[in-house]
Amino acid sequence: MHAKPSSDAAVIDDVEVTTLLEDGERAVAGDALAPPRTLRWRKWKRDLVWAGLIGLVVWSIDRLDIPLDRLPGILGRMGETLMTRYFPPDIARITQRDYLGSVFETLEMAYLATVVGIVLAIPLAWFASANMSPSKRILYPLSRLAIMACRSVHEMIWTILAVSILGFGMLPGVLALTLFCVGFAGKLFAEAIEAIDQGPVDAMRATGANPLQTFVYAVLPQVRVAWTGTSIYTWDVVFRAATVVGFFGAGGMGWYLRESMQRIASQEVAAIILSIIIVVLIAELFSSWLRGRIARAIA
Amino acid sequence: MTAATLEPSSALDRRIDAIARERRTTRRSRLASLAVALALVLGTVYAIVIKDTDWARLTWQSVATSLARFAEFDTSALPGLVDPAIDTALMATLASFLGLFLALPVAWLGARNITPLGRASYVFGRGLMTLSRSVHEIVWALIFVSAVGLGVLAGILAMAVRSVGFISKVIAEAIEDVQPGPIEAIRAVGGTKFQILWYGIVPQVLPVVLGTVIFEWDINIRRSTIMGLVGAGGLGLVLFREMARSNYGGIATVLAAVLALIIVGEFVSHYARKAII
Amino acid sequence: MSNIALEVRDLCAGYGDRQILKNVSFTVSPDDFFAIIGPSGAGKSTLIRCVNRLVEPTGGSVRLNGEEILDIGQRALRLARRNIGMIFQEFNLIERLSVLDNVLAGRLGHTGTTRSLFRMFRREDIAQALTLLDRVGLTDHVHKRADRLSGGQRQRVGIARALMQNPRLLLVDEPTSALDPKIAREVMGLIREVARERRIPVLCNIHDVKLALDFCSHIIGLQDGVKKFEGRPADLNEKAMHDIYALEVL
Repeated sequence: MHAKPSSDAAVIDDVEVTTLLEDGERAVAGDALAPPRTLRWRKWKRDLVWAGLIGLVVWSIDRLDIPLDRLPGILGRMGETLMTRYFPPDIARITQRDYLGSVFETLEMAYLATVVGIVLAIPLAWFASANMSPSKRILYPLSRLAIMACRSVHEMIWTILAVSILGFGMLPGVLALTLFCVGFAGKLFAEAIEAIDQGPVDAMRATGANPLQTFVYAVLPQVRVAWTGTSIYTWDVVFRAATVVGFFGAGGMGWYLRESMQRIASQEVAAIILSIIIVVLIAELFSSWLRGRIARAIA
Repeated sequence: MTAATLEPSSALDRRIDAIARERRTTRRSRLASLAVALALVLGTVYAIVIKDTDWARLTWQSVATSLARFAEFDTSALPGLVDPAIDTALMATLASFLGLFLALPVAWLGARNITPLGRASYVFGRGLMTLSRSVHEIVWALIFVSAVGLGVLAGILAMAVRSVGFISKVIAEAIEDVQPGPIEAIRAVGGTKFQILWYGIVPQVLPVVLGTVIFEWDINIRRSTIMGLVGAGGLGLVLFREMARSNYGGIATVLAAVLALIIVGEFVSHYARKAII
Repeated sequence: MSNIALEVRDLCAGYGDRQILKNVSFTVSPDDFFAIIGPSGAGKSTLIRCVNRLVEPTGGSVRLNGEEILDIGQRALRLARRNIGMIFQEFNLIERLSVLDNVLAGRLGHTGTTRSLFRMFRREDIAQALTLLDRVGLTDHVHKRADRLSGGQRQRVGIARALMQNPRLLLVDEPTSALDPKIAREVMGLIREVARERRIPVLCNIHDVKLALDFCSHIIGLQDGVKKFEGRPADLNEKAMHDIYALEVL
């Protein structure tokens, strides 16, 4: 039977896990089969690795000059600060009209960025897939580079850059989130294309179909489920980022977070952080509901 | 050989008509949902690009000028960035280890087959995972600043706590998927609960766990660049310092260093993954 | 019209140092059901795929109805492929599409890009697809998704898809090795019948010698990329078998 795209490719993590798990099983079997000498050597190697890791940690703590003395009682101190300065959260602030408007703004930015980002990511992923790229020499390396560049820069850095170029507002936020989305979805989309069964591709090529027709008929039906899952997951991540891009001068809830912070209005800050957590959870609930619905519709 | 010779044409015509009708309907409903999505896009474009953007101040020229400022690339600063780059990598490493350390109990709670107190602890564990992932690292960093003050520690704690969600979720799922064979075997010879965990489950999930930690390490390198906001060291701190000075050439240089570090990190994680396999 | 449909001369193929086909030559006439037999790894599949350049040959010549296929550009190659139907070992259907859409996909080379994006196939194409599905015995399965069919049914869809191209040559790559013996004979029989009805020459690689003997009019034997035998089924005697399968016998 052909390898069908997994019905729950919604979370990329799953893909990673299954491949790794197989290796795990192999490793277990390997241990049992290995002769005693190899086993002893392996034990040695393991101790060595542990020692190395502990050494690395100690050295890093020393080099980074980490004030470990601040760690004991951290929970207590956090609780205390929270109780004295951040409690009670200023709920009145987050029910004000302008703040609720910013929640809507956040939603708008995340939506536009996700849609545009995914629309851009689809052709890029196609060009950047090792097996299906229509132009191996030019488009393939270029689109790979584009996706990697989008990915390697943290979304908040994109925001800072976009704000410094476009000024404050929602536009730089959308730009930054779009770039982030292209990098995020583009990579996963391309990986899904690279995992398809090549048979239908051969069949379409054999009928004289052009590259676009081959893509639409042989590739899209195979990656549709995986891509839908990835898209929902991307939406989750983009929305989460959208709640804080405002912190660096783009629009949305983060803007208010920064503003309250600068006034040291801790109870407002607490309320805003609380509201961020709540809307993100609502968004996650929504997307897991959507995922379930789509999984049922496709199955 | 034409099609119509094999079947009475009227019957064939009726079948084709039915197919054409059905295709028109699907096409229409698809177009309709596309139109809705497009309308939403246009609405947000209106709100963001037209209403919210001050086009009087934002012109092609102003964009070009701002972009040009970044072009003053300062290569002479690059050697001075090696030390901060190492710091960044170490921060990411510590954060990933700490994340793993914190993730273990969470995974224990959130794995359906070994969770200690049944449904309650399972839901609690899963809730912790979601909480960790739902809060952006910036927010975590701000929370930790209030507890340990500005500096490296707040940054590392933020990254670690943000990593917990993903690492523990993967571990919990790996635990739920373990082969029952080795566990049965240990139980059969009268092993304790801890022995079952240590000898039956840990060897099976270890490769998954290590793979995930390496994956998170890669991401934590990226994250650590913005921990400069809370005064955590490394390239992030240099970056935020350059930004405070509005030294655009310097910003571009630091970003180039970040890119270089990430490429190195990608190689390292690639080989580390291979090594555990 | 000449009585040579396909002419293959000195065909070579391989990757790097590994040569898979070594100077293979043969001709197929319009009425042939031409079989390629040989042990697995002999290069049978590569040979078939070189004809429509799903695998790029490294040398030689392939002429379809007198026209060279190996030295033409991508666009011309697509036009040439429209005239070559192909049936695959693993059927290679698009699992998530309906049977009808799978058959219509055979028409992609003749359908404009925009039309094909929206699956707006011409009326006469739909008519032909329905007629072909009747012909291969799938009248009741037109609207089912391809992954709901059995192996034999899937291969019938594959046959219909290839015929949908109105091909002037049918390439058939191990059509039966994924099927059980009874279904395999039915499928081979169907391919022979439809090819005869339409006078399409068939080039078929097949590892089951018995099937080749029963259904094919002409056989060549490959071993390790070299042609070891050519003749009618009746000529395939013990010695010839030994030549082809020598390595396996040892």
